Amino acid sequence: MSTNSHGDGVTEAQVRERLDRVTDPELDTSIVELEYVDEVRIDGGTVEVAFTLPTAWCSPAFAWMMATDARDEVEALSGVTRATVELREHMHDAEINRGVNERRSFGEAFPDADGDVEPVRAELDEKARIARQHDATGALLDAGLDGAQIASVTRDDVVIGADRARVWLRGGSLAVAVDADPLERYLDKARATGLLDDDHPELFRTPEGEPITPAAFETVRHRTRLAGVNMSGQGSVCDALHESRRAEDRPPLSMRSD
Amino acid sequence: MYRYEGEDVFVIDSHLHMWDATEENIIHEGGEQFIQCFYDYHTAFTPEEEQWSLEEYRKYGADRMMQDLFGSAAVDMGIFQPTYLTDFYDEGFNTAEQNAELAEAYPERFVLNGTFDPRDGEEGLQYLEELNDKYDLQGVKLYTAEWRGESKGWRLDSEESFRFLEKCAELGIRNIHPHKGPTIRPLNRDAFDVADVDDAATSFPELNFVVEHVGLPRLDDFCWIAAQEPNVYGGLAVAAPMAVHRPRKFGEIMGELLFWLGEDRLLFGSDYALWNPDWLVDVVMNAELTDEQRDEYGVELDLETKKKIMGENAAELYDIDIEEKKREFQSDAVTEEFGLGDHYESSPAPADD
Repeated sequence: MSTNSHGDGVTEAQVRERLDRVTDPELDTSIVELEYVDEVRIDGGTVEVAFTLPTAWCSPAFAWMMATDARDEVEALSGVTRATVELREHMHDAEINRGVNERRSFGEAFPDADGDVEPVRAELDEKARIARQHDATGALLDAGLDGAQIASVTRDDVVIGADRARVWLRGGSLAVAVDADPLERYLDKARATGLLDDDHPELFRTPEGEPITPAAFETVRHRTRLAGVNMSGQGSVCDALHESRRAEDRPPLSMRSD
Repeated sequence: MYRYEGEDVFVIDSHLHMWDATEENIIHEGGEQFIQCFYDYHTAFTPEEEQWSLEEYRKYGADRMMQDLFGSAAVDMGIFQPTYLTDFYDEGFNTAEQNAELAEAYPERFVLNGTFDPRDGEEGLQYLEELNDKYDLQGVKLYTAEWRGESKGWRLDSEESFRFLEKCAELGIRNIHPHKGPTIRPLNRDAFDVADVDDAATSFPELNFVVEHVGLPRLDDFCWIAAQEPNVYGGLAVAAPMAVHRPRKFGEIMGELLFWLGEDRLLFGSDYALWNPDWLVDVVMNAELTDEQRDEYGVELDLETKKKIMGENAAELYDIDIEEKKREFQSDAVTEEFGLGDHYESSPAPADD
């Protein structure tokens, strides 16, 4: 596919593929999959993404993260010179759209906010890492590894291929192959939370970020399962609110202000 | 009394309100946002044919509430949990005094909880004592995200809060119900963070902390705290109606709760009028775990477990003798009014009698 710096080659499919990397931070699910994206408008090298969240009162910090991530992901496409967002029907849509499109900081857009958006993002990234660890270690358990082996896997032991990942054991004398996706997804969040370059070589950790002792492996598995259930549970709440908001006979009550 | 496959289930709805969100009572735009947000939750998790209009929802009054609770015998007893929000509502949204209208008319059927707000200082301590003198409190509902002037919330593990918890312990108010659940517009999400329960529960082992809404969207933090603090309980308001449209997800959440807390530390609550026990009790009683969930969690959501969750656990916390209550309810005012006599006869008459 050819694109050029004047940007007349970018397609909606490319933009959506890029947007698929943006997650609702509380649910750790793509905003494309969640059907938040209403519209993509392309005009030469300029792209505008319109999106709506499940409720008008979703956390402004979460809305801000999704809006800035969408903007930055789309702008990273070659051929796009400028990306803007249009958050719709949110109690703070004006502040968020202006702030994100004028490249202001969260603090500038919301002078009254208690804190910046970064600590919130860090907390949710950590939860997403824990939930993703459940899937990654689950894949390794299915492949026949035991808890002690999984606890000792280091970053260097994992080689990601196109569809399959290889995990080396016993100092490189044995490798098992598993589906690459859960490991790759885990690595992304392990990187985002700084685990790949801290003092411990172990890839998998307790929710607190410590290496896992073999005795604690089972409890950590239960805790990572719980993190996933929490996220998908909140996803169900958002989904139900989303459906109810979009019901045909439903007046847009949440937007009414007296 | 609710009957499930021929067996009686004594239901204590541990989370009730009688609120007033009429436009005349609203004095801050937060008040309008708050009730509309509640209404979003109501419609999202209520079967379509059971949904109320927003006007009905703003204020339903005592008669309707009695009908909803007892008209079809869904509930045997209820616990009022006040939510003051006096910065938003002139007379308060749902105060102990408002709830007292019913609680004092039918004391055998209701438990009336009070509240405190540590930001009120000495005056607040005095108010807590007054409430206790007046209503002989066994519990308090706490709303850590409530706005008060410039403040957008408070922490349960703060020094000021501990003074109030000490007062509760001294007055014999054993059951502390902090709301730790979904963000309600316009309140701040972080003020509902469940983390502050941990230290409070450790510091006051003589008190029970019933975390309302099981910490959602922080179920993980809640379960981990509760697994370590034996005096932490889970109130199922908000989680329960997920059984309507999201039964699988409800099963998963119950699986986690039963795995981490066990069957003795979970309390059913409808959050009336967010949801109506008139249909919700039936939905929850009929909810089941899938085989896969049973295997994954190694727990059962069987009739014995449900009986605990629907009433026995609350009875334990509030010193309610269920057998004694059944005898009392054979002929109390509510039974007379709603014709519930049959429900409390010790041995139901044979069908061909």
